[in-house]
Amino acid sequence: MNDHRQLAGQDRDWAKHLIIWCFVVIELLPLYLMLQGSVKDNADFLRSPWLPIVPRSWHWENWAFAFRLVLPYITNTLFVAVFSSAASLAFSIMAAYFFARYQMPFSRMLWSAFLALMLLPSVANIVPLFVLLKHLSLLNSLWALIIVGAASGQIFNVYVLRNFIEDLPRDLFEAAEIDGATHLQQIVNIVIPMSAPIIGTLSILAFLSQWNDFLLPLIVLRDRSSFTLGVGLIYLDGEYVKQWGQIMAAYFIASLPLIVIFLFSMRLFVRGLSAGAVKG
Amino acid sequence: MPHLVSRQRGLREWRLYLLIVPSLLLVGTFVLLPAVNGIYHSFSDWDGTRAQQLVGLDNFRRAFQDTILWNSFETVSILVVFNLFKMIPSILLAVLIHRLRSDRWQYAYRALMVVPMIIPGLVTLFVWKSFFDPNLGLLNRVLDLTGLKWALVSLDQRVFHWGVFFPHVPVGWLTQPELILPSLFIWGFPWIGTVGVLIYLAGLQSISQEIYEAAELDGVGSFGKFLYIELPLILTQVRLNLLLLIIATLQGYGLQLLLLGESGGPAGKGMVPGLWMYNRAFIAGEFGYACSIGMILFGFILALTIVNNRYVRVAK
Repeated sequence: MNDHRQLAGQDRDWAKHLIIWCFVVIELLPLYLMLQGSVKDNADFLRSPWLPIVPRSWHWENWAFAFRLVLPYITNTLFVAVFSSAASLAFSIMAAYFFARYQMPFSRMLWSAFLALMLLPSVANIVPLFVLLKHLSLLNSLWALIIVGAASGQIFNVYVLRNFIEDLPRDLFEAAEIDGATHLQQIVNIVIPMSAPIIGTLSILAFLSQWNDFLLPLIVLRDRSSFTLGVGLIYLDGEYVKQWGQIMAAYFIASLPLIVIFLFSMRLFVRGLSAGAVKG
Repeated sequence: MPHLVSRQRGLREWRLYLLIVPSLLLVGTFVLLPAVNGIYHSFSDWDGTRAQQLVGLDNFRRAFQDTILWNSFETVSILVVFNLFKMIPSILLAVLIHRLRSDRWQYAYRALMVVPMIIPGLVTLFVWKSFFDPNLGLLNRVLDLTGLKWALVSLDQRVFHWGVFFPHVPVGWLTQPELILPSLFIWGFPWIGTVGVLIYLAGLQSISQEIYEAAELDGVGSFGKFLYIELPLILTQVRLNLLLLIIATLQGYGLQLLLLGESGGPAGKGMVPGLWMYNRAFIAGEFGYACSIGMILFGFILALTIVNNRYVRVAK
């Protein structure tokens, strides 16, 4: 469409490209430093923190060490993130279906309650929440993180999903009802397949927030064996003598699962984000 | 619109309510109950066990005289201003990418924006913390390499007499009380929120080339185009981001906790209200007082949200 403009404007755009690249390079700097730093020992680090060293003197033992250190944390975090996002999504899809498809007695009241709760800032909650978990004897347990994670994303998810389900064609549901489908069957066979993109985006968001959380794990978890990445990395950072190579390798390994997830879902995620932005 | 169900049919279809029970239970127990509990306990002397004593407004009276809390509110307002400033680069970058004439490059940059997202925020926090390390950290290396260190030292000694920068001594970004706030400002340079950039780009996409051409014919300059064409279109997103950012800054304390520790770093310069609440509850065991600090913060944020919902209606 604007081919001629492209040709005419190409030479005037170089300044913009330059600025954009500056931003991009600095933004990617942590990734680069992590990678090239992960194969150095402290002496290499002091000599040249910037440039990669020759492959012959790479310290692969950093990676072996970091892997042994971080693997249990990753398993714990995966356990928490997978279960809490799955539970959160499953329950919020059911609740969203309830609000989107039928206006039952009390629906409106419940919905207002949901909206009011969404406005509540969460900061004041952490202290009473800790005491509640203590009374439920959930301290030092990963289940505490799973349950709280499932609960905290609930309201936002229900809000987004309700809007989405309301827009699904009503004929589908009516046809299913005539065929005698129960509500759960309608959810499984109609709602979930048809709202897969938004469910995917919400799951990734839930997963990410669990992966990055350290405030709740820090006060809930006590034993090293139950540490999630958040707490584990804090303890690694607090070591007195720091082996930067090992630390950088540990950081990179901690990012690996997310990198894998993003490789598979990048398209979906970017699309969901852009669509949501335009709609909102 | 949802299908309206009459009261009678509603009774017959009671099973539908089962769908919402798990959600309600979770939210009721882990969101609503702590909130109510927090309000109640902000009026009590409480060490987190079952033993407690209602003390009326004592906690709030104490908060009113608590200089650390007052200072922490001052610090957090400075941080809010910092963060408002830090919104600018994302907007600029989005506009820059949008103005590129080649669609292919636009797409490429949009894809490139996703790459930093693969690093978990947690890891980014720690990598940035390592930048501040006095001996091995990147920041001091950059200052040495570019000669900026020398400039800072001479500015310090000749002009301002801060007593912060010295020749041949590595700058202690997180150990010098005077440098805590500047460190929190430099933090995250160049302050691109890639999610933000993508959202702004999505908003900008509705501008057609003709509008630009018309503007060019009218002799509107580069800045004029930004002011009259681009900014109005992303204003919705900018406002939303602004509010979310202010709220997040007001209640956030994770960054300060990781960078500076639970007492807010040297001389408590990085103490923010959330961190003080955390500190009182989990370090000092004063759960009642921590709850009332939480309530004060809560009040501020709720007021902001209400003001925003009522007065800053976004025209659709």
